[in-house]
Amino acid sequence: MSSLSNMSAEEISELLDEYGIKHGPVVDSTRNLYEKKLKEAMAKGKKAKPSPDKTFYREEEEEVTYVYRTPAKSEDVRDSRTYMRSRPEWTERELEHRSHESPKYTKEDFPTYGQDAPKAPKSSRLIPLWVQFLCFLAVAVFLYLVFSSMESNEPLKVIE
Amino acid sequence: MSSTSQKHKDFVAEPMGEKPVMALAGIGEVLGKRLEEKGFDKAYVVLGQFLVLKKEEELFRDWLKDTCGANAKQQERRRTSSP
Repeated sequence: MSSLSNMSAEEISELLDEYGIKHGPVVDSTRNLYEKKLKEAMAKGKKAKPSPDKTFYREEEEEVTYVYRTPAKSEDVRDSRTYMRSRPEWTERELEHRSHESPKYTKEDFPTYGQDAPKAPKSSRLIPLWVQFLCFLAVAVFLYLVFSSMESNEPLKVIE
Repeated sequence: MSSTSQKHKDFVAEPMGEKPVMALAGIGEVLGKRLEEKGFDKAYVVLGQFLVLKKEEELFRDWLKDTCGANAKQQERRRTSSP
């Protein structure tokens, strides 16, 4: 821990914020005062030390959700649906995605669901990989149905 | 601040202008000398310091204590002197 007198004004300002000390600009006339305040705050024991915990939380959250998803993949389709719905710990964003997914689940068949299971996504994705594949397949099947229903007029006939 | 001294009344009666730091209520010879040594020779400079501390009374109190060794009552008088 470098001594306070060697720190730049910005660093002192940041430290003051970390300890929750209200302060003005760190200028010549105020520097001494703020250094003393910081020494007092440090002597009392570090109350506020932010940053590293937050990132840990995010990573932890993603890991947790990933862990829950792997058993869901290998289970029955219906079970995975209800399993997903009952997960209260997910953030609102993910819940929105879930609600988008569930209608698609009811409409579509699951022809290639089994194939998607063994995909092992180690990456920290917001929407898991198998869900993305499923969306893609759903759109592909939908387009195929649309085109197949359009083939009533012979489309291959060139303009006369 | 229950009662104000004559010095305080005199100070707040008009804009401080170029009044010396010793015109501040609660700042006598000794404290005034200490402030002048640090460069705070006029009342408006001390006002400037109060403003730089974002008008935080507690910070200003601590600063005054550090700078000139004023006790709590003198600091209060100084603070209420400023417009």
